[in-house]
Amino acid sequence: MRVLKSVTAGSLESSDVLVTIMPLSEDRIEYDIESIVIKQYGRRIRKVTEDMVEIAKITGARIHVQDRGALECTLRARLETAIERSIAC
Amino acid sequence: MSETFFGLEERILHTKDELAQREALLTSRGLTVPEGEELVLGLFDGEQLVATGALVRNVLQGIAVDMSHEGEGVAAAIVSSLIKRAVDRGITQIFLYTVSEDISRFENLGFSKVAAVPKGAALLEWGSAGIESYLSSLKALAEDKPDHAGAVVINCNPFTLGHRALIEYASSHVPWLYVLVVEEDRSLFPFRVRYRLVQEGVADLRNLTVMKGGPYIISSATFPTYFIRPDANEASQRAVRMHASLDVSIFRMHIAPALKVANRFVGTEPYCPTTSVYNEIMKIILQARETEAFGFDAKIPPVTVHEIPRFEIGGTPVSASKVRDMIREGNLSEVQKLVPKTTWDWLKSDEAVPVMERIRQSDSRH
Repeated sequence: MRVLKSVTAGSLESSDVLVTIMPLSEDRIEYDIESIVIKQYGRRIRKVTEDMVEIAKITGARIHVQDRGALECTLRARLETAIERSIAC
Repeated sequence: MSETFFGLEERILHTKDELAQREALLTSRGLTVPEGEELVLGLFDGEQLVATGALVRNVLQGIAVDMSHEGEGVAAAIVSSLIKRAVDRGITQIFLYTVSEDISRFENLGFSKVAAVPKGAALLEWGSAGIESYLSSLKALAEDKPDHAGAVVINCNPFTLGHRALIEYASSHVPWLYVLVVEEDRSLFPFRVRYRLVQEGVADLRNLTVMKGGPYIISSATFPTYFIRPDANEASQRAVRMHASLDVSIFRMHIAPALKVANRFVGTEPYCPTTSVYNEIMKIILQARETEAFGFDAKIPPVTVHEIPRFEIGGTPVSASKVRDMIREGNLSEVQKLVPKTTWDWLKSDEAVPVMERIRQSDSRH
């Protein structure tokens, strides 16, 4: 499913994460992962993000994750919301 | 629509009273009210405004939090909300203006510094540095070009014999010349047309590259006041100086080294006060050998500014604003004397009809 529009979910508040999805003209996924705990959790955040994108089968998008120390369940919730919004007409 | 954050209510500020509260809050934090804002948000504790921030095109600015609510994540809430609204409008390259003392606050929120004037203004961008990828594209472009190149930055609204004379002079004084055309589409002649007329107007010159100015040269992020008719008041003049300093710092710190540019060429500015302030600041910042006061590394080489007297015809300086005035007055035979054949041909084409009509009806500075 192609990403249709630029959307966000979440926030930059402490213990939250801001997920932004932007359409790309090509059929690929670009990731940009930032976190205040990138050393400890950077790989895990990337894995969760890539898995959710794969399950949702979206393409043509830049996924920007700005983590402010969110729990994994928060990250999943934010990603799910952003993905839903990005493909809704 | 209102949302709450930890009991604070978010509102878009409209009323005189709300805007007055906001001005007081900005002033208490040493900030001034930004110009040309499109969306102003506030967070309220009851009736008291405790935080504010504004979105002006793609730039967040005027962000302030009341002392009593510092350190509670209120700034994060307001910045998140502004980003969300910008993204909803399809804006994805987002900038932020602040004062240089507050840079680290916003770096903690995922912004990275583009340029800062010590004890003055700072420009940050959202997410991982977009300027890095922009600079690598410049470096790739300049890789097989000579050192000690020159640059001109021009709007060309539209391309005149004055621009032609400046570029001709510059290209004969440097081994290679970069002609950067202001990309922001806020002039009467659309960027697409301005760019094409520059290309056509210099097609016979071999040692130059005409290129898009990009988001870091005279854009709504680096120099928003360039596109607004300036007020004579002091605050507005201060804003022009502040933006000009940032724009020129970015050129010296990032763009000139990437393109191996050691010379920048400008025409003297007889008409436009904003451009003449810009030229004056450019001479100071680009050529400074003592770099500490401007906040950049001493290793960054200076760029020599060559200010060339405006090209004149019959004792009158040729400028694009003159050309637009003549179009407005319906004086087309005079226009023909001030522009090269390439521009003249376009002005007479069908494609030009709506642009000419817009010029006749507008009193815009650009």
